Amino acid sequence: MALKKNIILFLIISLSSFKVFVEENRGLEIALMADANTSGFIDSRSNMRMLLKNKKGQITERSMQSKIMEVEGDGDKSLIVFKTPRDVRGIAVLGYAHKMKTDDQWLYMPALKRVKRIVSKNRSGPFLGSEFSLEDLSFQEIEKFSYSYIGEEQLNEKDCYLIERTPLDPYSGYTKQRVWVEKENYLILKIEHFDRKFSHLKTQYFRGFNKYLNKFWRPSEIEMINHQTKKSTTLLMEDMVFQNGFTERDFSQNSLKRSK
Amino acid sequence: MDLLKETSHRIVSKDRNDMKCLFNILNRLVFSFLVLSFSQNSFSGREFLGEVSFEGRYFSKEGLFDQDKFHSSISFSPEIYIESEDSKKSFTFKSKFRKDSEDSERDIIDIQELHWTIVGNIFETKIGIRKDFWGVTETVHRVDIINQTDLVENIDGEDKLGQPMINISFEGLHGTFDAYALLGFRERTFGGQNARLRAPILVNTENPLYESNSEEKRIDFAFRWNQYFSAFEYAVSHFSGTSREPLFEIDLSKQAPLLRPLYNVIDQTGIEILYVLGNMALKLEGFSRSGQEDRFSAATAGVEYTQIGIFESRIDLGWIAEFNHDDRIENSPISVGTRLTFNDIADTQILSGLLWNQDTNEKNIFIEASSRLKSCCKISIEGVIFTKGKKLNTFNPYREPQGLFDYFQDEDFLKLEFIYYL
Repeated sequence: MALKKNIILFLIISLSSFKVFVEENRGLEIALMADANTSGFIDSRSNMRMLLKNKKGQITERSMQSKIMEVEGDGDKSLIVFKTPRDVRGIAVLGYAHKMKTDDQWLYMPALKRVKRIVSKNRSGPFLGSEFSLEDLSFQEIEKFSYSYIGEEQLNEKDCYLIERTPLDPYSGYTKQRVWVEKENYLILKIEHFDRKFSHLKTQYFRGFNKYLNKFWRPSEIEMINHQTKKSTTLLMEDMVFQNGFTERDFSQNSLKRSK
Repeated sequence: MDLLKETSHRIVSKDRNDMKCLFNILNRLVFSFLVLSFSQNSFSGREFLGEVSFEGRYFSKEGLFDQDKFHSSISFSPEIYIESEDSKKSFTFKSKFRKDSEDSERDIIDIQELHWTIVGNIFETKIGIRKDFWGVTETVHRVDIINQTDLVENIDGEDKLGQPMINISFEGLHGTFDAYALLGFRERTFGGQNARLRAPILVNTENPLYESNSEEKRIDFAFRWNQYFSAFEYAVSHFSGTSREPLFEIDLSKQAPLLRPLYNVIDQTGIEILYVLGNMALKLEGFSRSGQEDRFSAATAGVEYTQIGIFESRIDLGWIAEFNHDDRIENSPISVGTRLTFNDIADTQILSGLLWNQDTNEKNIFIEASSRLKSCCKISIEGVIFTKGKKLNTFNPYREPQGLFDYFQDEDFLKLEFIYYL
């Protein structure tokens, strides 16, 4: 009898763990499909406009230029140069994203002609007064999360997979993110961000997708709504150009000093 | 290149003839660069920028040398930037004009930058008047030596004068290697009779002493090699040439004693180390210098730490603590600083700092707040206090001061700056 009981128990345990395993895999699978959209593009550049909206709906604008290059076997390299407002003009951020370890970042201060290492591992704070954090703007490498599959849901009449991901970085500002991935092209349409107290902090929407070089989908608008402050920030991507022939030297400390 | 050398020693000038001469040189230089740039037809980005700034300083007391309580100045800095379509070539020109209410040494026409950058397949070449910063620490900069310090711009020594140079930079697997030929020398600027703050003895900037026979026309050389391995960064540098930091000789030939700056030829080897440990950066920079009396060394080491979102707000708080060592001084002061970043739409920031001399318990405290007003303007307010020094009511050149700030006891001030971007 005891043996039979044990066998049943064993079956129950293995079945339930199998279910968890399948869900994890399903979630990861969808994330990998969505990630495929963003990899293989080699490099890109674009002009970005950031519209910061306060509680009363008043809008402040900032503009910047960005360059991104893929690195084989590691995270992407990026360079963002600020154009407006005038007092931050020429300030630039160079980032080397990594798959497993913390990203490396440097800041260029044009008034002092100085390149300075950004040290903090905690990148959950607001970026330049916007509702985006540096964490939101950096590359969401697959390896930095664990995944689970929640189910299917409709979003703006589009069929989506709903997955949940948990950041593995202990310094992340989030405990959980719910991600809506559109079924047809595996485009991320919406992310809900939950803060360290597990409360719903922000919602991010991706809109106006364009297809570049016949395979790379990119949103032209990303909106981040902060439910706690009632403020929002919209990021508009303009003049996107792919495969510019960038090299390592376009993402070096010297390139930071050259950026204007 | 002769043009650059010619401008180098005439850049800060008060004399009208000098100004005229400077303008001529300037015009020729700008013109030649413009011709060069436009002849290459693929130049796309052209930007004309400028800023106007008003500055007022109010001192709590009249100066030791009867200087006024209120000092103000207005300055204008136009800037031209031209870039080729592929960003491989660019031209930068930035100058500054200033009129001061009290100190004629602050009335300037200055070329801060006038240079040409060419990014080749292997090397990056920069020719012209430039600024380049070396170092890792925040409060005292030991290894930074390419540019001369502009003390009339600000007494904190953070402001620099443009240096004519040829700089070739090579980026490879083993880091970045920079070689510099520094074409000519620029004297350190010092405030005049009515300046605040000023040294008790006026510095005679008209008549400096040089060790080199070529005086300010000497060509100096420098190199720096820096390398980065994820959490660890370091740099090694060497400078061989006229010291940016002068020694002084007392000149008693005139009615009032004067200090004559003496610029020796020095050799200085520097190191910079930065190590990222969790949320902290550990920093060290220092040098060993020969040529100015006995060989000596000086170093600054410290930590920087940032707390993100203090008290569950959007505000970040950064901490800095730095320790100094200098063979020439028995006990060097300690510096502690904080930076509050509000992460608001106006990019509001409050910096505060304390320079503490343990021996005499003297303190120099500053607090500076800045914020953007709409998108056109920026405003900043700074307060500076000197405490616990032995106040000297009269100046006696034969009596050595006891502390660092003895002469600055009446120099507490409040500064307001307003910048309008054109």
